[in-house]
Amino acid sequence: MDAVTYPDDRVIEFIQSHMIPLRVPFDDKPLSTDFNVKWTPTLITLDPEGKEHHRTVGFLAPEELIPSLLLGIGKSHFDQGRFDESLSTFDRLLKGYPNSDSAPEAIYLQGVSKYKSTHVAKPLKEAYEQLQAKYPSSEWTKRAYPYRLL
Amino acid sequence: MAKIMWETKMEKALSRAKAENKHILLDFFNPL
Repeated sequence: MDAVTYPDDRVIEFIQSHMIPLRVPFDDKPLSTDFNVKWTPTLITLDPEGKEHHRTVGFLAPEELIPSLLLGIGKSHFDQGRFDESLSTFDRLLKGYPNSDSAPEAIYLQGVSKYKSTHVAKPLKEAYEQLQAKYPSSEWTKRAYPYRLL
Repeated sequence: MAKIMWETKMEKALSRAKAENKHILLDFFNPL
């Protein structure tokens, strides 16, 4: 991360603009115990109250870290029922990083966000169709498989 | 040359996150 990802200008700009970066050694107590850290790097997205909403373990290239952070922010909004914010964050991820590993989960949660905010099932089916068309082998396509019947 | 200005204490990061209405990127790293 220090050699490739964190020196990247796009990563620096994104983190400075959108996040508070906090870095601690993997054996820092009690934080590493509180967050059940087993390997490095473990990257966790926390809301302003300190609650976890997303984590990854292992190296991420710049073109994967930024969408992963967007996914974390979107999941934070989603978890707290702020669906307008979650949808706009997932939309930004999908427009900027459609080929990233985070994109399929963003499509899945986009469909769920729309469903939860409207109680209309059609977005769930549309999410499955989009996943099937763009990411047929993704685990998120498999998770959305039942929505094809809606 | 620009670089990420990391916080090193959770309390300071939480205080800034609340004041600036931002999320926190918490990176557990191996300093060796």
